[in-house]
Amino acid sequence: MKGLTVFRSWEFMLAVVLVLELLVLGLINPAFLNIENLLFSTSDFAHVIIAAIGLTLIIMTGGIDISGVSIMGLASIVLGLAFIAGIPIGFAVVIALGVGIAAGALNGAVVANTDVNPLIVTLATLFLYAGVATGLPTLLDILGFQAYGAGGFEAYQYEGITGLPKTFTWIGSGRIGWVPMPLVIALLLAAAATWLMLFTRFGRYLKLIGVSPAVAHFTGVPIKRTLVAVYAMNGFAVAVGGLVLTAYLGSARSDLGSEALLSIITAVVLGGSSIYGGQGSVLGTLLAGFVLGFMRQGLLALGISSDVVPVLIGVLLVGSVALRIGLARLSTARANRAAFAAERMAVEGNGGMP
Amino acid sequence: MIAAAPSSVPLVSLRDVWKVFESVTVLRGIDLDIYPGRVLALLGGNGSGKSTMVKILSGAYQPTAGVIEVKGVPTVLSHPSDAHAKGIYMVPQEPHIFPNLSVMENLTAGLKGDPDANEARALTVAREIGLDTDFDSPGGELSIASQQLVEITRGLLRNARVLILDEPTSSLTRREVANLARQMKELKARGIGLLFISHRLNEVLELTDDTQVLRDGRIVLNAPSAELTTDMLVEAMLPADFAPPSDITERDPGTASSPSDKSAVLSVRNLSSRLFRDVSFDVYPGEVLGISGVVGSGRTELAEAIYGIDAFAKGEVHIAGRAAPRRSPQISQAMGLSYVPEDRHAHGIFLALPSSQTVTAGLLSLGRSRFMKRDHELSLTQEFIDRLRIKLSSPLQVARTLSGGNQQKVVLAKTLAPAPRVIILDEPTRGIDARARQDVYRTIRELTAEGVGVVVISSEVGEIAEVADRVMVMRRGRLVPLPGGPKSVEQISAATFAANGAAA
Amino acid sequence: MIKRIVKSREFLVLALLVAMIFAVSTVNAAVLRPLTLINIVNSSLFLILIAIGQMFVVMTRGIDVSVGAIAGLSAVIFGIALNAGIPLPIAMLCALLTGCLCGSVNAAGIVFVGIPPIIMTLGTLGAYRGLMRVLTGGSWIESIPQSIKTLAVTRYMSVPLMVWAVAALVIILAVLLYRIKAVRNFYAVGDNREGAYLLGINVRATEFTAYALAGVFAGAAAIVFTGQIGFVPMQTGSGQELKAIAAVVLGGVSLMGGTGTIWSAVIGALFLTTVDSMMIFLKVPGSWNNAVAGGVLLAIVVFDYLIRRTVRNRQLAMRAAEMHHAEQDHDTPLQPKEAVR
Repeated sequence: MKGLTVFRSWEFMLAVVLVLELLVLGLINPAFLNIENLLFSTSDFAHVIIAAIGLTLIIMTGGIDISGVSIMGLASIVLGLAFIAGIPIGFAVVIALGVGIAAGALNGAVVANTDVNPLIVTLATLFLYAGVATGLPTLLDILGFQAYGAGGFEAYQYEGITGLPKTFTWIGSGRIGWVPMPLVIALLLAAAATWLMLFTRFGRYLKLIGVSPAVAHFTGVPIKRTLVAVYAMNGFAVAVGGLVLTAYLGSARSDLGSEALLSIITAVVLGGSSIYGGQGSVLGTLLAGFVLGFMRQGLLALGISSDVVPVLIGVLLVGSVALRIGLARLSTARANRAAFAAERMAVEGNGGMP
Repeated sequence: MIAAAPSSVPLVSLRDVWKVFESVTVLRGIDLDIYPGRVLALLGGNGSGKSTMVKILSGAYQPTAGVIEVKGVPTVLSHPSDAHAKGIYMVPQEPHIFPNLSVMENLTAGLKGDPDANEARALTVAREIGLDTDFDSPGGELSIASQQLVEITRGLLRNARVLILDEPTSSLTRREVANLARQMKELKARGIGLLFISHRLNEVLELTDDTQVLRDGRIVLNAPSAELTTDMLVEAMLPADFAPPSDITERDPGTASSPSDKSAVLSVRNLSSRLFRDVSFDVYPGEVLGISGVVGSGRTELAEAIYGIDAFAKGEVHIAGRAAPRRSPQISQAMGLSYVPEDRHAHGIFLALPSSQTVTAGLLSLGRSRFMKRDHELSLTQEFIDRLRIKLSSPLQVARTLSGGNQQKVVLAKTLAPAPRVIILDEPTRGIDARARQDVYRTIRELTAEGVGVVVISSEVGEIAEVADRVMVMRRGRLVPLPGGPKSVEQISAATFAANGAAA
Repeated sequence: MIKRIVKSREFLVLALLVAMIFAVSTVNAAVLRPLTLINIVNSSLFLILIAIGQMFVVMTRGIDVSVGAIAGLSAVIFGIALNAGIPLPIAMLCALLTGCLCGSVNAAGIVFVGIPPIIMTLGTLGAYRGLMRVLTGGSWIESIPQSIKTLAVTRYMSVPLMVWAVAALVIILAVLLYRIKAVRNFYAVGDNREGAYLLGINVRATEFTAYALAGVFAGAAAIVFTGQIGFVPMQTGSGQELKAIAAVVLGGVSLMGGTGTIWSAVIGALFLTTVDSMMIFLKVPGSWNNAVAGGVLLAIVVFDYLIRRTVRNRQLAMRAAEMHHAEQDHDTPLQPKEAVR
């Protein structure tokens, strides 16, 4: 019985889809199945998975944060500027992550303390953080910080900051054994988030709030504190994603990751999280992230234009939700029919009225 | 068995109607007729299936089995507009007002045909039934009574022959109720059939021609209102296996029956809020204080204010001897006060989760541990499954698939898990079957034996009589003084439902 | 009436807009030149049009993040049609139909299947944008007959023809929206969906229409955009969906549905565009535009929440006072019935 439910789970279906995808792509183009290439290609989308893991925790509570893609760029440019300003790279990383956490916490504070829809709150901060990220170089100039080079910080407004030290770019291009660092980091974060969801009180709070904020309130769940914390965690995750991508590309840019929003949300929703909250798994998000990422790689390897990729991702997103809605309706209808039949039989057996 | 059978054909009838939701059977073969020019009262406790039945009559739900007849012709009402076309209109308990639209727009919303003609008619009809207001002001500014008149106007504008009034008086002032009564009489005179749903027995007897009582999804009483008394209604609403209770002899907390060395576990002094005023009482260890009151009497608001949901309450609350000036659910539970809310689905249980996760939800914020102990969660749940006789296949069964009674026991388990010193139960047996009800009562007795103070809030006087050691009645936001000495069910009913003019 | 206008959110934002322009003029008087103002309006036409479409959706408590992509796809169809030698009016119709079709696809998924609006339109955002590239092979559509540009350069009283056209459209719409009673259905559905259903309003048809209209207006925006710049770049409409949402929310359309007017969309869109222009006059680098727009949006919605909370508290307190007052005379007898027992 218990084994059956494992095979029926959404995560298992995703795993099957992932294997099938790799097999089909491999059959068409055997070169695709080269393990080393396959592993290496994850570096192209590891930042999507990392951001999607953070978002999974938020969607668990029934919220959403679309400003993550801006926080990625913000963290990246903060790191780059700090580096240029001569701050040791390790400390620069800490500052960038701190900015990410603060940006996320601000989202959380507004969401927790008002009834404004999280979508609107984070839409506003999507603009705000993106604007701050692009404007930061000039602001630093205006504030009188001395930058090295003729153009001041402003020179870095539109072009990336390159020349980052090897110790830093290693987290984007290095590898442990065969496994590239971005994937290692994504897996570590996924493991941490899974542990948080399954084994900590905090993870349970997220689920309780997502299932019913009202019941959670009556039950004594500290809703505000939990929300601020989870949005801050997402800020941390996307900042990590931003830094990983920065290291991988070897360039700190303010518009880094801005294209990733659709992929991130698709990974979370395809991974089985309900946009209404209370349902979802980090493992599902991870698997869905791989399905999406390899699909892109595979199509490109087949020589299909990358233009088709967003069409497919969109169809996948909508299709997976439609499928889940359909399945849920079927099972409810079946349960109601069974209950009615049983009840009617019981009453007729008793001779009608009690 | 319709006495004083009206000669005409019923406007609307239900024949052997069943309804199943989420695997729970709500209606079990309902028969009902609404005649022109007559008012039919529908009575029933919370969760008896009233609102489901009304939604089937108004086309919002489809019956799982059975037939709806309009003037004797079997009809399918697949949408509220179908019901409107057949002359059936429901005035919901919470009127559907569009707060941002003007009153006039509220009146004409959804009407077909020429807008200007509709507005002119709406104005006439609204004035006729006594809705006198600025028709250009936003609907959100209307009082509840006016909102109900808006709904009645909407029905009349659709040429309704049948008007369903779903608990129209629950949040009206006395004067507003009198006005509503006058309007109902006018409507009757026009040959309109009315279905009047209420909690207030005296209103039912005074304002209606026939009465039907619904219990556990079945009609258990059907008679002309003139032949009925409040006692008969109370009795019909009680569970089938309910033994007529003897009078409640109150125990004085200071006498030998209750150890005098114990001080109150909960004391409330001059607590006031928007919906109740100046409430003071004490609860002692090992006793059950019954608070009798109908919906809208302020009883739930009182409980929520004590528990810490409503932040606007003023007054003093002491829990287990300690002052609790600032309260929140978390603080209250930490101090030893737990609460079983009135609305199980909205406030009590996490429907989409395994039952065990509801059971431990209240404990989480109290314990020191930041980590989940799964084994402990399961064993604790199992403990409560045995103690409360919860019927489920495993502690992991999703709460949504449980029957109402078992869901309520899961909520009870959640509330008891932190081992409270005092517990407030708001409508603890609402919509649950007789056996589960007995289990709840047994649990209450076990708690008092352990020295827990219990407050039971209920609109069912029979329930109060069954479990309470001491009784308070709440009506319109105040405690109603009762005479000293033993109290009969009739006395409590009278005070609760304000029957026979028994006011303070 | 006047009091209500002054108290409205549209008026607040308009006042902020005017104040901002005057404040900037103290630094740089060039702002107040008529030509400057006309140019601001001219460059806000695209956003105004998609914001109007978005308004219908948000009013019904939905959201459509695909309008920018729809505008892009419509622009591509428009460009292809023109290049194929199709006459301008028919090409315009093609663009509008494309928008309508795309909007209807969104509507079908949301209304009939029950997919959450944000998910459905996010999915189609990717799909429409991808289709746009597939249709063009990823390259810009240039060499469009330049006759179209004459539309954009033609000016009456030094105001571009496009501005006149959109202004006329907005005014006609405003009158129509006021006149057509069915428009109330949008408000009713957004305000209280269950109530609207129970009153016999066709909720599904209303929601469907809202998304289809959002598509049509995105198509109209595409025509204006193509006319203004004379070619179709691949970025057409990119990121504008979020600006459109920001514009309507800024202008007072609540995401909780039921509020907002066409002026919300127009003033919100004007405000966001003006912020961009003012930055230039203040010699603030354009990179700060988004930060200011986001900051203003955040401030406005939080401010709006605080106001609503205060009003609600006051209403509840008033109702409570009413109940307590009625307490005094609660022994008024009920209407006596013939057979009082």
